[in-house]
Amino acid sequence: MLQIQDLCKKYGKFQAVKDLTLHIPKGDLFGFVGPNGAGKTTTIRMVCGLMPPSSGSITVNGMDTLTRRKEIKKQIGYVPDFFGVYDNLKVKEYMDFYGSMYRMGSKEIERLSGDLLELVNLADKKEVFVDTLSRGMKQRLCVARALLHNPALLILDEPNSGLDPRARVEMKELLLNLKSMGKTIVISSHILSELSEMCNSIGIMDHGNLMASGRIEDVMESVFGSNQLVITMDEGRETAMRMASEQASVKIVSAGEHEIKLSHSMTAQEISKLIGAMIANDVVVTGFHKQEGSLETLFMRVTGNDEKGGNDNASESNR
Amino acid sequence: MRLNPIVKKDIKVQSRSMKMSWGVFSYELILALVFFLSMLIIRNRNMYSTDNIYSAMVWLYPVLAVTQFVILGIVTPVRTASSISGEKERQTFDIMMTTSMSPFSVIIGKVMTATVQSMFYVIASMPVMALCFVIGGMSWSYLFWFLAISLLISLFSASIGILCSSLCRKSISAVIMSYGFYLIFFVATALPGILYAATPRYRAYQYGTTAAPGSDPLQNLFLFLLVNPAVYLTEFFSQIMAGESVVNGLSDSIGVGQQKGLLHSVASGNTWMILSTVLFLGISFLFLWLAARRINPARKAFRKRK
Repeated sequence: MLQIQDLCKKYGKFQAVKDLTLHIPKGDLFGFVGPNGAGKTTTIRMVCGLMPPSSGSITVNGMDTLTRRKEIKKQIGYVPDFFGVYDNLKVKEYMDFYGSMYRMGSKEIERLSGDLLELVNLADKKEVFVDTLSRGMKQRLCVARALLHNPALLILDEPNSGLDPRARVEMKELLLNLKSMGKTIVISSHILSELSEMCNSIGIMDHGNLMASGRIEDVMESVFGSNQLVITMDEGRETAMRMASEQASVKIVSAGEHEIKLSHSMTAQEISKLIGAMIANDVVVTGFHKQEGSLETLFMRVTGNDEKGGNDNASESNR
Repeated sequence: MRLNPIVKKDIKVQSRSMKMSWGVFSYELILALVFFLSMLIIRNRNMYSTDNIYSAMVWLYPVLAVTQFVILGIVTPVRTASSISGEKERQTFDIMMTTSMSPFSVIIGKVMTATVQSMFYVIASMPVMALCFVIGGMSWSYLFWFLAISLLISLFSASIGILCSSLCRKSISAVIMSYGFYLIFFVATALPGILYAATPRYRAYQYGTTAAPGSDPLQNLFLFLLVNPAVYLTEFFSQIMAGESVVNGLSDSIGVGQQKGLLHSVASGNTWMILSTVLFLGISFLFLWLAARRINPARKAFRKRK
């Protein structure tokens, strides 16, 4: 669906996006993650044709975004991070306006906007002025507007920023609903827990570089290693560490007062043998479990920000 | 033919705001004040005269028309200057640019909105203007010319405003820049001619101390006045009110030698007005084209790929 090849964007000497290569298959809900100033918004704006790349290419459904702009505009629905409204315009008129901007007929606009407002739970707000809607409602209206011309690719830049918890849940449900309809969705967000619940693939950007991308489980595996095992104990930590380090296929990742974390390539039998041996050697094992990495830890690991702290570069640089 | 969606939306949105009503009210009020003030002056001047006071009423036409042109000239660029930069400030511009509308259609939509609104003001002022025709006995064809010039002024001012709006991020900067453009058209176009007239060479011709050539090519510097709005309006009204051409007189008085130059042929008959109108229209479309190019987000990339 979306193919980005060696994409670069320079502002004078500053390089906002560096050799970005990315492929998003049809039907994916792709989460674009990265700290402020990472280059997410710049990339999104280039994909939407709002900004020309310095080099590289972007294709949507095999069409180059620069040479076939007219066709590309019909393929993309864009929801920006900030939702501006016109005063004195009703919800229905707002949809009419954007429908006409896509050169749709009035009957088609009426039919589709009715369905879409239903989908985003705003059917009863048709006659309400847009500027009187809540932020969550405005955001949903913006999604309905972006879907009006039935685009194959929906791009949302920080759609949840500034939304209250209820609006976030509603937005999440809406996006999952759209995903189930077969839409390809690209969403950039800072709220990683929500992305991990919605997205099936992610791309992590930092300082203009794409640090990791692919299906979430694949990225997790490549970053955290194939298997991680956490063994908790009350006593015998030193013995347990010695026994674990004696195994050829085991590497100790970290050790706490009552737990050790191992990276290993052992089979299930080998794990139970090792645990059994530890218990036999007076290690008071209270539990063990396979470590599941979270998107937050993955993000921190990939961007290296667990040491640096928050990277709060001026967000203007990625606009 | 489909109506440009931007015009439809903008007119709807603006018609709902109180700004529009207050705008029309202020416009009418200014015109009414100018009308009564002019009436007062005419009455006082003719109080001890044996001339028919009604014949003096024809002068209400240029007074009211110039008042309207000045208001349109001031208001229209303000409206268009905030149109593109206003969309940017409101953050609706990016969404607009991702739709199927081409940048030129967006620009045309914004200019049409401003022009339609200006014409709305002009038409709303018709009852006041009609008094010049009823009392002053002006020909109704002059009403048509008044509307045509109003349309041209609205389009020209709107194109200046929209160009500045596409160049500036903030509406206020765009408005200031628009008035800067006005200064160029009103003052800078007159400067070359004034500077030429100040040269010793020209004065020598005028006072006959030097034998004048058949025609001096430098006198064509006065042709910059073709795009001077003040000269355009003066020529228009002098032709209508007195049946005389100001530029023809100017050409005669400033002309050098046997007056066979380009200036003399351009300044004769209606050529000046026609040429000037074509130039104003041309400049307006050039500004619109530049504005459309300016707001096209992919323009640099296209240039590279070509």
